[in-house]
Amino acid sequence: MLKSKPIRFLLLILVAGVLFLLGNVLPDYRVYEGATASIYVIAIASIILLTGYSGQISLGHGALMAIGGYAAVLSRKYWHTSGVISLIIAVLAAALFGVILGYAAARLRGPYLAGTTLALAVGLPSLANQFHFLGGEQGLNFDIGAPPKFLGSNFSTTKWYFWICSIAALIIFWLVQNLLHSRYGRQWKAMRSAPVSAALAGINIARSKVLAFIISSGVAGLAGALLVMTLNLVTPSEFPLSLSFAIVTGAVLAGIARLPGAVVGALIIVAIPDLADQIATKIGGAERISANLPGFITSLLLILTILFAPNGAKIGKLVSHGSTRT
Amino acid sequence: MRLLSTLLIGISSGSIYALMALALVLVWRSTRVVNFAQAGQAIASTYIGYVVITHTNNYWLALPVAIMAGALIGALSDILLIRPLNKRITSGPVKEIAPVIATLGLLGLIRSLVGVIWGGDLKRYNAPVSINGFTFGHTTIPFSRFNLLIVFTAVAVMAIFAFVFQRTGLGLALRASAFQPEIARLAGVRVDLVRTVGWAIAGATGAIAGVLITPSTSLSPNSLDLLLVLGFVSAVIGGLESLIGAAIGGAILGIGLALILEYVSTSLAFPAAFIVLMLVLIIKPSGILGSKAGRDA
Repeated sequence: MLKSKPIRFLLLILVAGVLFLLGNVLPDYRVYEGATASIYVIAIASIILLTGYSGQISLGHGALMAIGGYAAVLSRKYWHTSGVISLIIAVLAAALFGVILGYAAARLRGPYLAGTTLALAVGLPSLANQFHFLGGEQGLNFDIGAPPKFLGSNFSTTKWYFWICSIAALIIFWLVQNLLHSRYGRQWKAMRSAPVSAALAGINIARSKVLAFIISSGVAGLAGALLVMTLNLVTPSEFPLSLSFAIVTGAVLAGIARLPGAVVGALIIVAIPDLADQIATKIGGAERISANLPGFITSLLLILTILFAPNGAKIGKLVSHGSTRT
Repeated sequence: MRLLSTLLIGISSGSIYALMALALVLVWRSTRVVNFAQAGQAIASTYIGYVVITHTNNYWLALPVAIMAGALIGALSDILLIRPLNKRITSGPVKEIAPVIATLGLLGLIRSLVGVIWGGDLKRYNAPVSINGFTFGHTTIPFSRFNLLIVFTAVAVMAIFAFVFQRTGLGLALRASAFQPEIARLAGVRVDLVRTVGWAIAGATGAIAGVLITPSTSLSPNSLDLLLVLGFVSAVIGGLESLIGAAIGGAILGIGLALILEYVSTSLAFPAAFIVLMLVLIIKPSGILGSKAGRDA
């Protein structure tokens, strides 16, 4: 594990450079997938922080992404906020919701919390169908604006989205990584692996849990707003239950307590539909096979991982944060 | 009259929520897992029932077939997934969340398999009895013969449960394995087998809920998601431990939602259910029947 801050920062710059080159070389649809992968990195990081560190599970982060997405769209539509401000509003709106949810969550144990957040994921996005100003099934358009002039006239929108998403992902990755190495990260780890000892050592468990929920919600909100940006549109159907499941799957594949794994998890989640497509064409299956194969592969991976590599698919011998509490 | 018919509709839908809640509570009691795959197991069983109905046009044959299928899927879920999981994962950051993740994966797996076999389009089949409301004099209420059948079926299932749990050796073994697995094992109860039986009964119960609710809505690979959530809310209202609590929770939620739909707004049903869930969890997390009462069930 790279402990020292400057080295981590240099590494991040290096990654940014590689991404910059990739954005220029790869075909347009790959760049678009890169943007999607960046969004998943952000969303998975929010789960790793919440579940892997503070020990709270959420099956409802798709709903928090929806809140972020709608907040960004509404603020741009009604207040004509700039792109960056819209994204910040998305973070704040989701974080605010996270406050409420976090206070409830801090009192709940595993299965109750899982059920409550699942209820949120099932119900919340469909609420948009019931309120006229949210645009219903058709949704609302969202345009973050053309790329700035100095990037040149043939700078494609896809590339612009990729830049925004990957820069956001790098910033979030940096912030979350530092947070997890800070006092709070240590508190969360202590709290998750030995709650009684942590409380005795002076950690305010409830406050610490709520804080994790708020930060995680805000990060998820950003992912939601970016997702809406790449699609130019916000509708309830962009945030199905399977989105929440995909994020959790990505986090489990990553190794639930390993932040760098988020990149691996995100790449797998983005690669699955591609892979499924190729398999479906190879076996010449009907539409119903190609429609369900991604879900099948994702679920199967999730089950196999939790059964055979519960602390994440080991890629290299990275640090395991696993506690050995009996 | 309007109030009475709303209450009746509420009891009818509440009966189905209660069945789903019973399925969740049974699994929770036997293996300490909230089985999110219950929606998947129920949907697969319901599709199998649907096949029987389309071929034979006989609802009364479809129901037992679906129940058997549900029991089989439930038992297989335990044997193939939950048992190995509990043996493998004994510590680490994933211990608490592993069962949740596993049942989630199972839900996705079953759902995509159902999608491959039957496709994603909506299927429908008719109720075995009239779905037109009863008429008294000149007024027709929404409550139909089929609603009455739903309530009767749910009550019958609960009566069977009450009998099995209170009066039979199997019921005693189920209760013993749930609360003191080590002591039950020492006393000669085959705990693993008994737990699998619990999963099978839960699967059968979920299948009944799926077959009963589908004539009023339609069937698709994710058409039971909302039922899963409402069943979970009912189970939580009842304290998650108690079978009687699950039944009461279902009735409360069913009536409450029916009243809101009728008198307040149709768009508020889901937020209302969610707020009820939050309130119960914050004010009285042990449910209306706390764990103490639950142990008697």
